[in-house]
Amino acid sequence: MTYCFHICTCFCLVIFKTTVMPYFSLFDRFYDLIFPFIIYLSLFRSARESIPLILFFGFVMDNLTGGPFGLYLTTYLWLFIGVRWVITFMDVEDSALLLFVVAAGVLVQNFIIIGTIVMFEPVSRFSPVVISTVVVQVLWAVFTGPIFLVFFKYSHGRWDKWFKEVFANKKGDRYGLIE
Amino acid sequence: MVMIVGVFVLIAVNIIALSVFSRRYPSYYGSGRIAISIIAPFQKVATRSIRFVRDVWRHYFFLATVATENDKLKKAQSQAIEKSNHYNELKLSNFRLRSLLNFQKTMTNRVCAAEVIGKDPSPWFKTIIIDKGKDDGVGKGMAVVIPEGIAGQVMDVSSHYSKVLLIIDPNSAVDAMVQRTRARGIIKGGSAGLCHIKYVLRKQDVSVGDRVISSGLDGVFPKGLAVGHVSGVIRRNSGIFQEVTVTPYVDFEKLEEVLVVLNPTKHEFVSEQ
Repeated sequence: MTYCFHICTCFCLVIFKTTVMPYFSLFDRFYDLIFPFIIYLSLFRSARESIPLILFFGFVMDNLTGGPFGLYLTTYLWLFIGVRWVITFMDVEDSALLLFVVAAGVLVQNFIIIGTIVMFEPVSRFSPVVISTVVVQVLWAVFTGPIFLVFFKYSHGRWDKWFKEVFANKKGDRYGLIE
Repeated sequence: MVMIVGVFVLIAVNIIALSVFSRRYPSYYGSGRIAISIIAPFQKVATRSIRFVRDVWRHYFFLATVATENDKLKKAQSQAIEKSNHYNELKLSNFRLRSLLNFQKTMTNRVCAAEVIGKDPSPWFKTIIIDKGKDDGVGKGMAVVIPEGIAGQVMDVSSHYSKVLLIIDPNSAVDAMVQRTRARGIIKGGSAGLCHIKYVLRKQDVSVGDRVISSGLDGVFPKGLAVGHVSGVIRRNSGIFQEVTVTPYVDFEKLEEVLVVLNPTKHEFVSEQ
């Protein structure tokens, strides 16, 4: 059921990013919406639960974008490894961490993407637009990233609670405990 | 120490894997099609719903602006009729000249209309998903155009959906030429929705405002399709090429419907006996 929640959330995020957001020019340079979810998985969920999802959605994103295959998979995996390493010496509940972790992640993602583009296309476009895109994405992440993390945590909690209730009721019905 | 070495090894493996997979053209055994097939139906539903709501809003709540727009359109229509008459004249004279030179009539391309149902989730790459695929006759490498000009090229196909690489993506390349001077070059995607013509020799005459069209030599885009106009030319003191910036005619932000050219023109050279 947890996987079901994760998959539904990621699907909604991908569809929202690719179909709804392009209609609003304000979000032209918004960061990848799967990103805060990957950070949420890294911070609050187990590796066994997170890795299959990261691999699956990295694969999906790689097929939806025009970039080199494996770029998103790489970014997500390294982000996951990085965040897991950071939380070995930082408190997960620390609000300062939540405030900056998405922004830092977006910055790292952009460096990996730009680095890959430059690596494969040395005569690449390096213009002020690139810098402004990175800055805009990081600013969006600073202001909206923690909201996403809190929302994922809250909705996952609600989902678990609701599922447990439904499951308990069914079990109760089966054994005739609930009238 | 072991951990640091491990991280370096991982990075090296990662770079090697990326460089192997960055050669996109060998198909991933249909894996890309699966991902597109999973996501695209949801994208289609979401896009249609958004457009429905937007159309309702436009038709019923913006009637006041429609009146002014109508006046403008009437003016534009009268100008267009005048232009159309002029073009008819040109068409007739073109026809006569072609017959005179005993040219074969250019083959009309068969096209398939498709709707844009999704855009690239990353701001670094420029692709779109359209609602036509292999079952509709769409194939990898086919040209995607709209009446204003060239939009892109099909890069991945599933049975009902396709991914299109737009000409403003840095990975895209179109063989093109300046209509006025026939100076040839390769149009590559740049930043901020612009393109650059690469490999245009410094001696070639290119000026701002020149119209750029497809040359047809890449075997993908039919010859003579509009690409954009030259918006900047830089000739440096050194180097053999000049830097030419092109503003595409297609507004990629508002791309909603496209045409896929199903039977690209093949250039056949008949040897003289």
